[in-house]
Amino acid sequence: MKLFVPSPGHIDSLKELLKQKEKIYSIFMAGSPDYIGTGRSNLASPQLEDIKEQTEFAHKNGVKMELVLNSSCMGGRQLTPEGFRINHWYIEKLVDIGIDSIVVADPYLVETISREFDVDVVVSVLAFVDSPQKAEFFENLGAKSIVIDSNVNRHFDVLHAIRDSVDCELKLLINEGCLYRCPFRYAHFNFFSHAFGPEPRPNVLDDYYYLKCLELRIENPELIIKSPWIRPEDIKLYKDITDVYKIGGRTHFVDWILNCVNAYYNESYDGNLMDLLDCPKDLKDLYNIPNKSLDGILEKQWMNCKKVCNKCGYCRTLTKKVTQVYSNGGTGLEKCLPWEAVKT
Amino acid sequence: MFAMGSGENMITEEILKNRAEFEEKTRKLIGRPVLLIELDLFALPCGCSGITANMRGLEVDDLEVFEPQILQLVKEMAARFEIKPTVTFARLVPGSSIVASLNWRTLCMRCYPEFARSEGKMPRPDLYMLHFERRK
Repeated sequence: MKLFVPSPGHIDSLKELLKQKEKIYSIFMAGSPDYIGTGRSNLASPQLEDIKEQTEFAHKNGVKMELVLNSSCMGGRQLTPEGFRINHWYIEKLVDIGIDSIVVADPYLVETISREFDVDVVVSVLAFVDSPQKAEFFENLGAKSIVIDSNVNRHFDVLHAIRDSVDCELKLLINEGCLYRCPFRYAHFNFFSHAFGPEPRPNVLDDYYYLKCLELRIENPELIIKSPWIRPEDIKLYKDITDVYKIGGRTHFVDWILNCVNAYYNESYDGNLMDLLDCPKDLKDLYNIPNKSLDGILEKQWMNCKKVCNKCGYCRTLTKKVTQVYSNGGTGLEKCLPWEAVKT
Repeated sequence: MFAMGSGENMITEEILKNRAEFEEKTRKLIGRPVLLIELDLFALPCGCSGITANMRGLEVDDLEVFEPQILQLVKEMAARFEIKPTVTFARLVPGSSIVASLNWRTLCMRCYPEFARSEGKMPRPDLYMLHFERRK
């Protein structure tokens, strides 16, 4: 198993992460927002000298280093002469530093980096590769690896079709808790790309997409159950598709990241599923979904699910069965109640 | 007030207890889970002070339907912290159903006129007024 593990982006967190280097194939982190930026929120903005120091440290420990430049919207700047020059300069510096791979979402960057630089180009999950045709397209542009759109994580027919269509490496993002077929996905990642990309950055008070996502899931935790995460125990069912897995979560504490690393490395987790999910981290203090209560569900139901939810109702019933709500959280009276006991 | 060293701190325990109670009562009132994700006591450089309850899952419709009951819960919590708010309002994400926070604020002399001169339930797109105590 090759685990790609997020780093919050500074040397101290990297040193902590690499205390368990035997479980980690590659670290990934964002670069400076001043050039290409990323499509997700970020804690650090490591400059080239920081990236160099961290890359050397990772390599010294036998771990690869991947830089994530997966902005989903650059406002066309990448196509301007000035944008091309700046991006080209930045990527050249990263390659000189010895970065092993660069993750991008924009097809233009996939082609230009793979043609002009000696570095592996990885197609980001934010390129939404959800079909064999798209996978072939990106492979033909020069991609060495593709992170498959997590929306199809439970569509085994599509996953196998992609596997059969390309020779490049495939990666699965295993712990993203985003809404299945999330309607906010494009707008939210475009917003992040500007907020965590070059100036001018939008001065936003409230992230509507995130808050709305939480609102929907607080109202209906079935949306958490239907998110396309992959449990550590279910990794074994993906082994004929890939053995390369990416753990999301570069805005978390190292301790949280290592908890995920251990869960997926050991292919087992005896705790709250919400502890492992990257995206709706605020909801781990609301819902307790015992991970072990989901044993066997992927094989039994989701591997062959037709995704016609209003005719099926399986996830609705499962949600009622397994979801608990923390009551009196943070006090001596804290306990878990069945979700249905709280909802009238 | 403080019992540092014994592992207990009355202020933080009181805040934790109030956070949980407010969350529980709101859930019972609206009939579904909501999350009071952070309860803050604040003081601003202008002289305003008060409480902010950052909510997740609370919606504008809930305020419209349960305003008197929510206001009562808000008043109870303010009283427990011995805060006399001049203004109580919800902060919304403009143009959406999202209630980002509930706020109890004792206004300073400088900020009072801003609120006093405004009118209606929503003097700004992001504010939903629950109560305003006019000076006599």
